[in-house]
Amino acid sequence: MSQQTASLEVRNLTRTFGDKTAVDDVTFTVEPGKMTGFVGANGAGKTTTMRMIMGVLVVHGGEVLWDGRPITAADRARFGYMPEERGLYPKQGILDQLTYLGQLRGMTRKDAAREATRMLERFGLGDRLKDKLESLSLGNQQRVQITASLLHAPTALVLDEPFSGLDPVAVDSMVDLLRDRLREGVPVLFSSHQLDLVERLCDSLVVLSDGKIMAAGTREELKSRGPRRYRVATPPDAGWLRDEPGVRVVDVDGAHAVLELEGEGTQARLLERAVPRGLTEFTPLVPSLTDIYREVTR
Amino acid sequence: MSTSTSTTAPTGAPTPAPEDTHAPAAAPGVVKNPWLVVTTREVVVKLTDRNFIVSTLVTLALIIVGVGASAYFGNRTADHTVAVVSTEATAVVDASQAIVGADDSGDTVTAQEVADEDAARQAVRDGDADAALLDTGEGWVIVGDEEVDSGLAGALTDTLAASVLEANATEAGTTTAELMAGSEVTTELLTGDEGQAGLRYAAGTIFAFLFYFSAIIFGMAIANSVLEEKQNRVVEILATAIPVRQLLYGKVLGNSILAFGQIAIYAIVALVAVNITGVASDLGWLLGASGWFIVFFVGGFTALAAVWAVLGSLASRSEDLQSNTGPITTVIMAALFVGLLADGMWLTIASYVPIVSSVAMPIRVLDGSVPVWEPLVSLAVTVVTAYLLLRLGEKVYQRAVMQGGTALTWRQALKLEV
Repeated sequence: MSQQTASLEVRNLTRTFGDKTAVDDVTFTVEPGKMTGFVGANGAGKTTTMRMIMGVLVVHGGEVLWDGRPITAADRARFGYMPEERGLYPKQGILDQLTYLGQLRGMTRKDAAREATRMLERFGLGDRLKDKLESLSLGNQQRVQITASLLHAPTALVLDEPFSGLDPVAVDSMVDLLRDRLREGVPVLFSSHQLDLVERLCDSLVVLSDGKIMAAGTREELKSRGPRRYRVATPPDAGWLRDEPGVRVVDVDGAHAVLELEGEGTQARLLERAVPRGLTEFTPLVPSLTDIYREVTR
Repeated sequence: MSTSTSTTAPTGAPTPAPEDTHAPAAAPGVVKNPWLVVTTREVVVKLTDRNFIVSTLVTLALIIVGVGASAYFGNRTADHTVAVVSTEATAVVDASQAIVGADDSGDTVTAQEVADEDAARQAVRDGDADAALLDTGEGWVIVGDEEVDSGLAGALTDTLAASVLEANATEAGTTTAELMAGSEVTTELLTGDEGQAGLRYAAGTIFAFLFYFSAIIFGMAIANSVLEEKQNRVVEILATAIPVRQLLYGKVLGNSILAFGQIAIYAIVALVAVNITGVASDLGWLLGASGWFIVFFVGGFTALAAVWAVLGSLASRSEDLQSNTGPITTVIMAALFVGLLADGMWLTIASYVPIVSSVAMPIRVLDGSVPVWEPLVSLAVTVVTAYLLLRLGEKVYQRAVMQGGTALTWRQALKLEV
């Protein structure tokens, strides 16, 4: 089994629409076999970035690299892409149109049909192969859309809001499919509003705001960024912590306080002073991605 | 590059479905002839479209019924019965058979002797006889009920005139032949022969309408197929797989093949039907012109196809198509009317104007006497136009088809960034 090793890199990517800079000097890397979440508010520039990666929009500055060299149309033809605005042929049978899309990506008709059938069966659509897309429920149309992006064993995946409109079961089967690809070393970039999902799935994260990168890195890197926070409880009142040197109190609520500690030995000294006051809790806080996201986009 | 197997999937993998043990077939990535894949889809989708099949079959049925009907009415034989009182009248009626039956139509005329004039009139009134031929003493009268069949009346009149002339001539001591000597008139046509003129006109009309309907029906099909992809954003996926202009080529070719195929089937069925029923014998001249018509149809249609595709890409909803297809419909309509109305120099000029020439040149070929280089030159003009329109169309289409939102004009689209 040959493991894929190519990574997808975006370097100083810039795009303007008139006076507005939609994407401003964006740089990040999607590592092989890693799932990278692309988060940001509406209008942050996620879709524009993805469309530039896929060559649907012209790049105004910077470049997209695949396997360390400038990306070509042939590279992109092997990618899987799910645009933000969903779209397939409403009036064509689902197997037929998936076969067509597979053929356009260089598969033989037979391979494309076999692969599409296999994936649709996996999504529970095995008995609807001949049905027109428009006769399917929205969730099922979404499944067909996903199949369209995965059909040709893509070398990289660029998915714009792939999970929106999916029920939890469908999210799970989609994640299974994505994991299959990840194991083969395929880099996956996907955008989402659902931070809990991103938290659950992503190896790394790119946070975009107003066209600029606010944070990028692996989950661990991002979580260890900034000062470590602790939760401390000394009933009945934790107010005394405000006067301790090297301690920055983020929040006090009765017996509980959230702290940041500065300087060597602060933690040991603090514990020494807290125990006589009836310390009941001392917990390092691991920030959730939601916290990080809120923090960096504040 | 990478081929993949799932047989060495690392631990922690979700249990795969039993049939999932084979590898997904790795795509070579770049399809060799993307336009061919697109063309095939266009054709297959249309050929499996029930509306398309039904409308084609209905048209074929109409063609067959039309040819059959004209054969039936053309071949129907009439058997006339003429009520007579005198033996002279009987002789005239019998003699008129020669004229009535002269055109190989199988028509007959028989005399039915009755007692007197009143009985003859009564027979006509009752429908027992088609007409009555009565001698009034000063001349003859043909009695009909509501009307007298013009063929029958003509035959009786001619026969009567001849027999009266013959009698008078004998009385004057001469013969009809002597009296008529030198008065014979025959018609000589320099090009073609009589009977084809009508057919020529009919064929020209059919060419004009076929072009009109096919150009509009298949043109709208192209525009709608482009719009469908734009509206549903499929084009964004397609654009990442193949160059957008390949999509355009495929669509133009696919729909041109469909239009051509449909026209060819209509033509073949019509010609076969015409031959079987014997409506028109010796159709060699029609075949030649039909061949030119099909060649010109393909040229004219291809030139228009790129324009239709652009119109589809400029629209954002199907309502937009109704307004922005106005000019092209006008051009096609012009081709129709030129085909129906133009004559002489105007027709000659029209036969060199691209698209309009698709109707005008075959009509000139129908008239005969067009040297073969003329259609060839005109065809070359059309091909060049088609090429230029395709290149311009490609530029507009590439820009417009990715642009959602509002409907665009050609000018706006050309200003867009790719």
